[in-house]
Parts: sequence; C-alpha cells; structure tokens
Amino acid sequence: MTSVIKETQSIKEAVIYINAIDVNKFSRLISRIIQKLHLKEERTFSEEEEQKLQAALSLDKHALNLVLETSAFILEQAVYHNIKPASLQQQLEVIHLNPEKAEVFSQTWATAGPELVEKLKRNIFAPKKLEHVGWQLNLQMAQSSQARLKAPSAVLQLGIRSEDSEAPENVFVEFNHQQLLEFYNKLEIVQGQLDSLT
Amino acid sequence: MSSSHAKDTSFLGGRIPPEIESMSRNLKDVDQELFRKLLKAVVGALEGKDCRDILRSAAETSLIPQERLSHIIAGMHKLLSESCLRFLSQTLKSLFGLSFVIRIPEDFITDFSSVVFGNRRAALEAASSQKDPHLPTLEDFKWRVDVSISTSSLARALQPSVLTQMKLSDGSFHRFEVPVSKFQELRYNVALILKEMNDLEKRSILKIQD
Repeated sequence: MTSVIKETQSIKEAVIYINAIDVNKFSRLISRIIQKLHLKEERTFSEEEEQKLQAALSLDKHALNLVLETSAFILEQAVYHNIKPASLQQQLEVIHLNPEKAEVFSQTWATAGPELVEKLKRNIFAPKKLEHVGWQLNLQMAQSSQARLKAPSAVLQLGIRSEDSEAPENVFVEFNHQQLLEFYNKLEIVQGQLDSLT
Repeated sequence: MSSSHAKDTSFLGGRIPPEIESMSRNLKDVDQELFRKLLKAVVGALEGKDCRDILRSAAETSLIPQERLSHIIAGMHKLLSESCLRFLSQTLKSLFGLSFVIRIPEDFITDFSSVVFGNRRAALEAASSQKDPHLPTLEDFKWRVDVSISTSSLARALQPSVLTQMKLSDGSFHRFEVPVSKFQELRYNVALILKEMNDLEKRSILKIQD
C-alpha cells in the first residue's frame, strides 16, 4: 500500500522533535489528541495547557505546534484511509520515527481508532438536522364550527437544529388519524429503501 | 306539541336566530327552482368556492327583489353553518320540527335535509374544520435516501441518511436531514401514536353521551 504520509520538510522536522520526547508523556499526548479528533472546530489543548506542555516537553511554541499538528495529521490520515495498525507502524518507521514512538501511534490507533471512525461516519453534513422527536395525543371535543367532535389528533414536535444556530427550531405538525396513517405508510416505504441497502 | 318543539329547536341555542326568522318570512313566492339554486350557491360558498356568478344570475333572472334574496341567503348560511351538522344527523326529526316553528315549506325542508345528510356533508365538515384554529398539518412530504460514500474525513464512509422535505399547510417549508437512528425513533413514535389512537377510539371515553 502506498504510504499515506509523505516525508515532507515539515514532517522531517516534526519527527526530530517527536523522537526526542519521553515516550510515556508522548503516549498520553497522542491519546488525548485522538479523543478530540472528531471535533472539527475545537482546539485539542487550551492556551494554558499548551503553555504547560511547552514546559513539560521542553519545546518552544513553534516546535510544540508542529508536533501537535503533525501527530493530528498522522491520525487523520490513518482514519481517512482506515489503515491497519501494523501498516501504520511500518509507514511511520519509514519516515524515521523511532520504533517506540511508532508503536505508540499504532497502539493508540488500534484501541481508539474504530470508535473514532464510527463517530465520523455519523457526522453527517447537513445545514439542518432532525435532533428531537416529541409528540402529544389529544382528543378534540369541539371547535367553533362543530360541537361534540371526539376526534383524536396528534401533534408531532420535530426539533431541527441548524448548523449555525444555538437553539433547535421546533416544528409542530398536527395529524388526524387518517393523515397520521398516510404519513406512517410513507415512512414505511423509506424504511424499505433503507433495508434494501444492507 | 309545544314541548317537542322546544326540544327540537334547542340545537339552535334556544332562540331562533334572526337570520333564519327573516329567511322564513321572505320565502313567500319563492319557487323551488330558485330556492335550489340559492341553496346550491350557499353550499358551494361554505365549501370555499366562489359563487358570485351563480348568485348574480339567480338575482337577475328572478322577480324577487334583491333585498329579500339576501335575507334568504343569510338564513340558509346560518342554518347550514351553525347547525352542528353532526348533531343533526342524530336527530333527524329536528328539521321537520323546524318547519312547524319557522314556517319553511316542507319541500324546502327536504332540500335542506338532502344537503345535510347527503354526500356534500363530508365536504362541508372538512371545509369548516379547516377554518378553525389548528396547528399546521402536513401537506406534502418528500424524501430521499442518500448514501455518503466518502467524506473529507473518511475515504470509505458508506453511511446512509434520509433527506426529508415537508411542506405544511401554513405555507412553511422545512428541509432537513434525518440520521438513520433518528429516523427509527420517528417511525417508532408514529407507530406508537397510531396504536394509542386506535385504543382511544375503542375505549369507553368515546361513549360519552351527547
């Protein structure tokens, strides 16, 4: 399999720094990075934490950034191509990462990787997503045009979250028995399609 | 005789509305054909159709002055819209009792009852319930099943999802993605509500006496 990590200049530089880090500290660092990899916008470490890291690993700001970014990049590539841990280890040794560090990467990838892949699979891209389904069943007794009704009616609450808004938008839809049955039949057709995919 | 009359007119709220009274006063000399035309127009109006043309032609071709016609039409409208159509189906005799009290000729009563109990009834009820307050109902539901093959984070994602488009009766339009797990939840909940509705319709709470 072709290497997923090309040995560019910055990679070479990062490798030198990484090789110098104590292996236990490095192991904890990588574990933390992989946990937060699925969150696109969040920084893995806060400003404070980065400063502490600089001190703990004896790296200046530029070096630390390079190490963090490169480590994240390696893990992202592993996820993207879904490569096996053994293959990852091999490829890292090719770019001159020392064996114990390569092993840290492949161990972490082996344990936390599958879960990360699942999380990313579920991260669908859509401007609006259905987040919450609530409902209420009412018995309508009368209305201004008709007395003595006794008609059951259901209200479905759909909580839809937009990418760019904080609070979900609630959409309320009312159904009588017939309308709800029609809706359910449509949902069954969709389910049939979903089933045919597996 | 008078006590049964009192019972029969009770559905109109105890007192006969003035529109209906004035209608009965103005029905003198009105022939069956004209009456039927007017009735048809009023039923159409209650269903939401535009019947200005029918009414105009009826007014032009008849000898009855327009003012009297308007009293008749107002009375018909009142009788048919307020008359709690559902109730009337349970007490058929009311309309005949009515003819004694408000002096509508019996033929005209027959025409009324053919509207009230005929197959226009369902359409009338549906039209009137649309005007009453209610939350938006689902007018149109379109969907699409997608499988995302790869994304920027995964070369091989192969993840299905459902894209839904809903148009509601208040004109609003919602397009949103439903993850497969949420779709299952939605389906489950809808089935649950249907089951609850079925149970409700069978239960004795519906045997509340009118």
